[in-house]
Amino acid sequence: MSQPNRIDGGLIDRSQELAFSFNGERMAGHPGDTLASALLAGGRRLVGRSFKYHRPRGVFSAGPEEPSALVELREGAHCEPNTRATVTELFDGLSARSQNHRGSLEWDLMEVNDLLAPFLSAGFYYKTFMWPKAFWERVYEPLIRNSAGLGRLSGLEDPDQYDKGYLHCDLLVIGAGPAGLAAALAAGRAGARVILADEDFLPGGRLNAESFEIDGMPGSAWAARAMAELASMGAVRILTRTTVFGAYDHGSFGAVERRTDHLVSSGGKPRQILWRIRTRGSVLAAGATERPIAFGANDRPGVMLAGAVRAYANRFGVAAGRRVAVFTNNDDGWRTAADLAARGVEVAAVVDPRDRPAALDVPGAHHLRAAAVADTSGRKGLKAIALTDGSRIDVDCLAVSGGWSPNVHLTCHHNGKPVWREDLRAFVPGEALPAGMVVAGAANGAMTLAAALAEGRAAADAQVSALGFTPAGGDSPRAEDEPSDGAAFWHVAQCRGRAWLDLQNDVTVKDVRQSVAEGFRSVEHLKRYTTLGMATDQGKTANVPALAILAECAGRTIPEVGTTVFRPPYTPVSLGVLAGRVRGPQFQPLRLTPSHKWAEANGASFVTVGNWLRAEWYARPGERGWRDSVDREAAQVRASAGVCDVTTLGKIDVKGRDAGAFLDKVYSNTFSTLAVGKVRYGLMLREDGFCYDDGTTARMGENHYVMTTTTANAVLVFRRLEFARQCLWPDMDVHLVSTTDGWAQFAVAGPKSRDLLRKVVDSEHDLSDEAFPFMSCGAVSVCGGTPARLFRISFSGELAYEIAVPSRYGNAMIAVLLEAGRDFGAAPYGVEALNVMRIEKGHVTGNELNGQTTALNIGLDRMVSRKKDCIGGVLSQRPAMTDPDGVRLMGFRPVDISQSLIPGSHFINVGDEASMETDQGWMTSVAWSPNLGHSIGLGFIRRGQERKGEIVRAVSPVHEADMEVEVVSPHFLDPDGERMRG
Amino acid sequence: MAELKLESARPLAGIARSADGISLSAPADLAIVAIALPLGGENAAMQAVAREYGTDLPPSGKAAQGGGATLIRTAPDQVFVVFEHSDPDAERIVAEKLGDAVYATDQTDSWCALEMEGERCREALERLCPLDLHTSAFAVHDAARTVMEHLGVLIMRTGEDRFLLLSASSSAGSFLHAVETAIESVG
Repeated sequence: MSQPNRIDGGLIDRSQELAFSFNGERMAGHPGDTLASALLAGGRRLVGRSFKYHRPRGVFSAGPEEPSALVELREGAHCEPNTRATVTELFDGLSARSQNHRGSLEWDLMEVNDLLAPFLSAGFYYKTFMWPKAFWERVYEPLIRNSAGLGRLSGLEDPDQYDKGYLHCDLLVIGAGPAGLAAALAAGRAGARVILADEDFLPGGRLNAESFEIDGMPGSAWAARAMAELASMGAVRILTRTTVFGAYDHGSFGAVERRTDHLVSSGGKPRQILWRIRTRGSVLAAGATERPIAFGANDRPGVMLAGAVRAYANRFGVAAGRRVAVFTNNDDGWRTAADLAARGVEVAAVVDPRDRPAALDVPGAHHLRAAAVADTSGRKGLKAIALTDGSRIDVDCLAVSGGWSPNVHLTCHHNGKPVWREDLRAFVPGEALPAGMVVAGAANGAMTLAAALAEGRAAADAQVSALGFTPAGGDSPRAEDEPSDGAAFWHVAQCRGRAWLDLQNDVTVKDVRQSVAEGFRSVEHLKRYTTLGMATDQGKTANVPALAILAECAGRTIPEVGTTVFRPPYTPVSLGVLAGRVRGPQFQPLRLTPSHKWAEANGASFVTVGNWLRAEWYARPGERGWRDSVDREAAQVRASAGVCDVTTLGKIDVKGRDAGAFLDKVYSNTFSTLAVGKVRYGLMLREDGFCYDDGTTARMGENHYVMTTTTANAVLVFRRLEFARQCLWPDMDVHLVSTTDGWAQFAVAGPKSRDLLRKVVDSEHDLSDEAFPFMSCGAVSVCGGTPARLFRISFSGELAYEIAVPSRYGNAMIAVLLEAGRDFGAAPYGVEALNVMRIEKGHVTGNELNGQTTALNIGLDRMVSRKKDCIGGVLSQRPAMTDPDGVRLMGFRPVDISQSLIPGSHFINVGDEASMETDQGWMTSVAWSPNLGHSIGLGFIRRGQERKGEIVRAVSPVHEADMEVEVVSPHFLDPDGERMRG
Repeated sequence: MAELKLESARPLAGIARSADGISLSAPADLAIVAIALPLGGENAAMQAVAREYGTDLPPSGKAAQGGGATLIRTAPDQVFVVFEHSDPDAERIVAEKLGDAVYATDQTDSWCALEMEGERCREALERLCPLDLHTSAFAVHDAARTVMEHLGVLIMRTGEDRFLLLSASSSAGSFLHAVETAIESVG
């Protein structure tokens, strides 16, 4: 396939041809090409449409700053919109499509917007979409959303893999241009652990794009030699295709490595890796970005940055045009003309607004002094330029240089403010840099080659010295400082047409003027009002020229205007790589109970409780839904026996001479007096006196307690206890170990539970009520010698136990327990039946201990011992928390027992209007009670203790429900506890 | 009724695979007992350890070997004694050796263990472990508690290219998946 604009030279491999397609057209390039260079080589100038006016756009730059050449890359679910063609490495089989047009790229129906431009100026949608209000959501929002964005998402799940990782080094060098390579070489030779990261696939930065020499060899060859030396150093890690996109705290940097984006398929490996790099020091050698000059119709395909035109010629062997003009306000632009001429490309003219002699000798080119380009023509690509004197030059490419802006972005990520250097006409890094960062080269304003090399070397020497390494001696690379003078010339004032500043968002000089005229004069306001500097390129080429216009309009200087804040990421980062592998079933780790396999095989369905999966019920054949299963399980427990895996409750082994005294401080009630072999219910308060957590704690030995916590708070309670022991009372001899996962624990509940356990617990252990009464505990053995812990505690209100075995036996243990209970009709039960039974019994859980309730509210105020101090003890006695008129935990039953209660309902007195002022409390937990045959609820109601028997209304406006309920005891079942003591 | 028997099923039992220059296995019969040094009784505890295991207690973040066990100092007052033992009474073994000099708590069933070995271990662990595992920063017998893929992990370097990873037994499946994914990613 023809590549009409391919010229000699360049760092591409012409021995191989890579086939690709653009808008279905088959094209070809070579290894070493980007999509942009291959498109240009193939003569393709029109590659996209602008955001607002749908103007024809072409390749503008040769790097990450590209505002215009954005494409949809790859097909189907792999399609990635808004991909910059200028940094997309060409591969065989690549397919790309232009974006943001209706109809074909060449005949975009939305081009009508360009005719409407007078109505689409800055802030137009703030003005246009105001009236009528009824249109906001139904008309305007869909309209705006439809126009927003550029490329289209596939709408399919991203089939690629992404990964994350962590890297560590002494010195991170960001950028592998001349300064970065000099820095990495110096640090590597000194023996430091170095990471050299560069976003390009070919390290060298501008050395690959220029015709400079270093140490007597071409700059690109020197870069290749430097890379080879670095690769041979064991302590240097080279990350190419890696963008360091953000500087974070304590020497951390975020970087994305594109591992397989240059391949036709990732082969199942991660496509990109998000690296979190932790380093002791960094050298930012991020280079600089060229900026354009604003003049009439300066957005046509063929108008390009001069440095980019030079890069396409020198690095990629591509002539961006056959007859080229250069419009430059600085010496650097002249080198484009010189390099093109040297490569045989016709340079028609060099237009320089400065009135001074030619900076370089350019054979065949007219030098137009004190001149400027006022306008361009050519509908889908540049055909001619018009100068301010009215003369016209036919060219198909105009290389524009308005000077270079150091890439200060990462220096600002900790709120550093760049400072203006008048001699460079550019912002350079300020003094407040992220800790450990030194900036070198063009990023620091060292805009010439010799200066960049010297700064890179010096920066690394200083950094490694500070880290305790001895800088290696030896010569610095030798190069010359090229001419780099320029003038502050931002905008061709004589031009009459629209002059673009931000090509991506279609922001023109006129828009900036209008913004100022309408009062949006702060640079941050300007950005929001005009959309300048937004979207994928974040105004990398547009910002400084726009600031200059803003300063001019507002009668201020550029440093007075300042810049907008640079925030991470430096270039767009895909959401996929931020998620890494944390997606789908791997979104969070799963914790499985020891009996999970058995439960799966026995009809259980599971509910997530934090990270745990717990059996919610065990469906049996013939059951028509969950209620059938849950009613049956609860009935079986109350009639006979049931087994439930309760491993998820937190278990903390508390040991030490002061274990009891410690528990007295963390629980509101007393544990030091608990006898060995006994269990007690405990209530923990928060520091502010509200209820925090509850559970039972067993005294297994003189210096050994086993605490249980709620499932939800297991980790939090452990952490809090560690804080208490390490920080509050370091003089106590107390030690904590989490044993939650170590023991598989099962509730065995129901009137037959003792009979069941007698078959499992080894016979030397006496389980009679006399020997092992309610609230006993002890070490036992089961099934012929397996160690176990037995607790006689009850959550269901029945005669009940909890038995724990080492978790390796958990899956076998549930089968053994049910085998032992087979004769009694014992059944496994899930958390739903467990919840039904605890509501019947009036026990609290997270619904009641929600962080807003006090011990008095839940009726446990007598558990807050006044004889000792405990965490939250004092603050729990504040007047509002002991208000006798406050809410109390009560039971509720519908007056019409055919009605189902609704959790979250609020209680309102009969006859009152339902409002915040008349609110009496709220329903926390609701269940259908198979034992009572109707719906029951727990809830908090004002002065509940005095209101037993009263009828109130349970109102739930969201359910449009309003029903009468009777206030009853929260203990629906066996209020005196005869069953569990039996 | 048939005699009721309990079969042991450790969560990662039998895992052993090798690919891409990394072998991954779940060490069988690894017992872990946490011992706490009583406040004021640290010297006595250290002497008891020296007597029974023939090694001084290492400083925090380090491990020592002796008496057929690895002693990992997980905190100033806590040591994990790791040794091979299949029966569920590891706590008794340690308690009998050290008596009242320490508080011993069985941790065997609280953890699952994976051993990684091979030249590319560090490369795979880069995708998981936030710690610097360069030998200059994490030498053989260094140990640390950290987080990998939201899971608490105790990592110990047992050789130049060999690591022992301990994580909670309840999330063993997620842990194995995380480690295997990391190995596959670098392969």
